[in-house]
Amino acid sequence: MEEVTLKELWKSYNQKVEENLVLNQKNASDISKMKVNSLLSSMKPMKVFALIVGAIWVIAIGSMIINLFVYAYHKVSLFFLYSAAIQVLLTLLAIGVYIYQLTLIHNVDIDEPILSTQEKLARLKTSTLWVTRLLFLQLPVWTTFYLPRSVFVNGNTMFLLFQGIITLTFSLVAIWLFLNIKYENRNKKWFRLIFNSKEWLPILKSMELLEQIDDYKENKKIISREHRRE
Amino acid sequence: MQQEEQQKIFQNILEQHKGILFKVARTYCRDEEDRQDLIQEIMIQIWQSLHKYNDKFQITTWLYRISLNVAISHYRKRKVRKDKFITLKENFTQISAADSSEKEQLLLQLERFISELKEMDKALVLLYLENKNYNEISEILGITVSNVSTKVGRIKEKLKRRFTQNK
Repeated sequence: MEEVTLKELWKSYNQKVEENLVLNQKNASDISKMKVNSLLSSMKPMKVFALIVGAIWVIAIGSMIINLFVYAYHKVSLFFLYSAAIQVLLTLLAIGVYIYQLTLIHNVDIDEPILSTQEKLARLKTSTLWVTRLLFLQLPVWTTFYLPRSVFVNGNTMFLLFQGIITLTFSLVAIWLFLNIKYENRNKKWFRLIFNSKEWLPILKSMELLEQIDDYKENKKIISREHRRE
Repeated sequence: MQQEEQQKIFQNILEQHKGILFKVARTYCRDEEDRQDLIQEIMIQIWQSLHKYNDKFQITTWLYRISLNVAISHYRKRKVRKDKFITLKENFTQISAADSSEKEQLLLQLERFISELKEMDKALVLLYLENKNYNEISEILGITVSNVSTKVGRIKEKLKRRFTQNK
């Protein structure tokens, strides 16, 4: 089909559609009276809430850990001390992701060009994966924080072996998931299995969109390279 | 801007450019309920962005940016709505039926082929078919004119191939 025919076909039909379109004035006027959130502002309260809860947690547990490190290092279980410290550090990183998301929400402008707006929106959605990766990375510390200081002195060999296998398995799984939960693996079976439920759909869609955006950007690079060569 | 004056401008924009909203919704949603949902979302965003409108851009550029941005990020929220915002007159289907059926068939095919495209490509092909020049498309999408030209060329080839396969 030729270019002109394609455009003419579209034009002839659209002309008729435009002539026959009816705007419901009452509904349109109702829109201006609606008290609704903008596209992204509805996401803000949840992020701010997570940020505040996370900050309170980090301040409370963090200051307790610092105190224990300084004043009671030889009295408390080192398993608890280091496990809690790792957990607080990872929570701190998750807070960083929430701050990044709130900055993106603040910077998204719906009347800006499509490519830049969609990139910000897609990055905002896919950054949720970072929080998930950090959550998985906390797995091993939940298998160690309760161990007493004396476990290696008085613990029996079977218990130590069992504990060691559990902690090692959790550590390997956590590191593997942390490294592999990424855009490139979105089509793998295990990935689809973890992110199967409906609430992950926007994130998976955003990943696809980022691929398209990259493709448009890649095109940009190829063209500028060709221009430079000329 | 006074609320009343803003409302008047809003209604005028919608009345004059309702076709943009309808066509964007038709390009991104096949289902009528989804389409009405999307049209409402676009109208809300236009209303909320009205005070920011910068007249260094054409009003159509601004409307396409908002409509396409909303359409691409609209992930089937499916709040079933009874209200219709933009519709076709009831006798429209009769007018269409009287038309040459071959043209109708070709148009249906074209719509189907467009629906198979990826989100960004749909935006590009819609703007191209709407006879926007490469400069306008570049302003709406935020890519260079040469990039627009390359991409349009590829999509045209793709559509041409689909029509040939379907013969």
